[in-house]
Amino acid sequence: MNRSSVPALPLKKRRKNRRQDNLVGYVFLSPWLIGFFAFTIIPMITSLYLAFTKYDGVREPEWIGIANFVKMFTDDPRYFKSVQATLCYTFFAVPLRLVIALLLAFILNNHRRGTTIYRTIFYIPSIVGGSIGVAVMWKEIFGNDGLMNFVLAGFGIPPAAWLSDPRTAIWTLILLSLWQFGSPMLIFLAGLKNIPQELYEAAEIDGADGFARLTRITIPLLTPVIFFNLVMQLIGGFMVFTQAFVITGGAPLDTTLFYNLYLYIRGFRNFQMGYASAMAWILLLIVAIATALTFKSSNYWVFYEDREKDRGQA
Amino acid sequence: MKKGILVLVGLFVLLIGLGVFFAFRKPAAIPGKTVLTFAWWGSQTRHDRTIKVIEMYEAAHPEIDIQYDYAGNEVYWAKMIVQAAANNLPDIMQQDYATLGTSDSKGLLLDLSPYVKDSTLDFSETPEAFIQGGIINGRLLGVNLGNNSQTFVLDIDAFEKAGVPLPASDWTWKDYETTCMNIHKTLNIWCMDSNLGDEQIWSSIYLSLGEWIYNADQTGPGYTSDQPFIDFLNMQMRLQKAGAIPGPNEETEDNVEAGPIVSGKSAMTYIWSNQLIALWGAAGETRNFIMVPLPRAEGAVQSANYIKPSQFLSVTSGSKHPREAAEFINFFVNSPEANAILLGERGIPASSTVREAIRAMVDKIQQASFDFLDMIESTAAPINPPEPPGHSDLIDNVYWAQVLEPFYYEKDSAENLVPLLREKMPVILEENK
Repeated sequence: MNRSSVPALPLKKRRKNRRQDNLVGYVFLSPWLIGFFAFTIIPMITSLYLAFTKYDGVREPEWIGIANFVKMFTDDPRYFKSVQATLCYTFFAVPLRLVIALLLAFILNNHRRGTTIYRTIFYIPSIVGGSIGVAVMWKEIFGNDGLMNFVLAGFGIPPAAWLSDPRTAIWTLILLSLWQFGSPMLIFLAGLKNIPQELYEAAEIDGADGFARLTRITIPLLTPVIFFNLVMQLIGGFMVFTQAFVITGGAPLDTTLFYNLYLYIRGFRNFQMGYASAMAWILLLIVAIATALTFKSSNYWVFYEDREKDRGQA
Repeated sequence: MKKGILVLVGLFVLLIGLGVFFAFRKPAAIPGKTVLTFAWWGSQTRHDRTIKVIEMYEAAHPEIDIQYDYAGNEVYWAKMIVQAAANNLPDIMQQDYATLGTSDSKGLLLDLSPYVKDSTLDFSETPEAFIQGGIINGRLLGVNLGNNSQTFVLDIDAFEKAGVPLPASDWTWKDYETTCMNIHKTLNIWCMDSNLGDEQIWSSIYLSLGEWIYNADQTGPGYTSDQPFIDFLNMQMRLQKAGAIPGPNEETEDNVEAGPIVSGKSAMTYIWSNQLIALWGAAGETRNFIMVPLPRAEGAVQSANYIKPSQFLSVTSGSKHPREAAEFINFFVNSPEANAILLGERGIPASSTVREAIRAMVDKIQQASFDFLDMIESTAAPINPPEPPGHSDLIDNVYWAQVLEPFYYEKDSAENLVPLLREKMPVILEENK
């Protein structure tokens, strides 16, 4: 190295080094980048284009403007049924699942012994809960000659057509989804462990009973975690597919025709990829709006400690 | 240090490159061999038998290497649509009568008639009517793998116990209703399962009246009156209300092996003739079943049955070895040795030589389906053209969702619902053109 050029070189060298560092960084990122472009960005752009075309998967897409969207909103009664079924599912399954997850997190948090084992056991259904295998089992349990009716018969209760009665079908699917409380449960548990013990001790000295401690300390301090879980589960709720695909196929009377199932039928059974793409983009919009509303509502019920402090100082 | 990083990066790029290279490389062809790709859908029995035939062919033709791929029906079509979009279809693909027209409208299939002319495909032993199904606009797009027809399977013992006479082969839906009620009244079982909503029944009602649900240029309905189908649905509702057939809440399994006729809970069922093997197998050898043709509509001019090519083998338009593919197909349909393994699992073989050759090999159950096909061969109605693109849209989104389901759940009357089919059909056919 030429020491005489010391004042000039370091800057240049640093820049060169940085460029080299960046290059190395990108190379190491490349597996993710390739995947991101090939499997996310490019398909998304393609699907946005296809949403404005008539495309059967083989022949050249044919530009038809907004006809797909017009049909969806004016001339497709099944479309509205699919929106209705999905909203009904999300509206009931998500809160119920969160309540179960929260209750279990409370129990695990209060009983120190064997927590690890129980945590694992409670998590297992989430791993298998969304699988085809469990869906097939569910179909057998709630079938007309299934386990459920057999057990009920033992108590002298007449059998019901759980899966083919329009009033009950979606509830069997909601019940199945409650199985998958594992990941929100773990997040709740972590949230509970983060609540400072001193608060409880101070409250106890002030004479607060268990219920007061729950509603004045635990729940408020847990709201950010509840909020996070709610958003994640909400998004997941809109994407429900497997259960209806395997168990009911959308029947009876389209009460379990979830949005993604209908999208699949249009795309892969009726070969209307253009229409299916248009549906996918509207779903994105619906999910975005639902998430935005949840975020907006968070101002009214989510408690952020640091923000409260700011307010106190002001 | 720096060098180390560079080497690492280099290695990394190399690895990715290799990965991409191997991922997109076609499977290695053995030098000097012609590679044919072949895909089909079906059950495990079909996979096993087909693979055996492929191995047999490869042993006899060392210059040919057949690479195969199989799946269940729904997965098969999802796969094929992706491969078609990537211009990567197998040389030989199994087709259904219903998909032949759609696939052709997309230009996916090769006209095989030149190979018939030069006798690569030998149809000298095959009745003309059995080849006809694969011909669209004068082009042979698929070779028939076997014949099928729809049938009502009757439990003879139940009929005898009820003292109800077996129906004549030209029975009508009115006769069916009487039979059904009598069986239900005397035995207090269902007379039929819940499968008669099938759109094929809709189509068969009009077939017996000499009409097709679509018009000839496939732009709208080809039937003159909604009444025959309305009458049929109202009859179904009378049976449903009497408890003679299961209601929508008692919907029975659509899997033939688990249907109520198998457990003796119903006296009849409606299936494709090749499904008899599965049904009888599940019910047990000691049971007695008979197959009769479908009931006809009032005022029928012909049978409600037609003989359907159960499946086809087609050569795709992108194939680089169409002649070799045609040679393999010829072996598949015409060789008695190959069919001694396949044993009519895809339907009764179209070639009369092959049919006679394997008739002796099959058991009593399969004999029954051979006999049924023989019986209806002379009276069967001519086959309609394959359904136009848009058929599945109409069936999924109108026929089931907006007509049959609301009807069976008693949300509306047949008189109000059935005209919807006529009304929506032209729009849907236009949209899917």
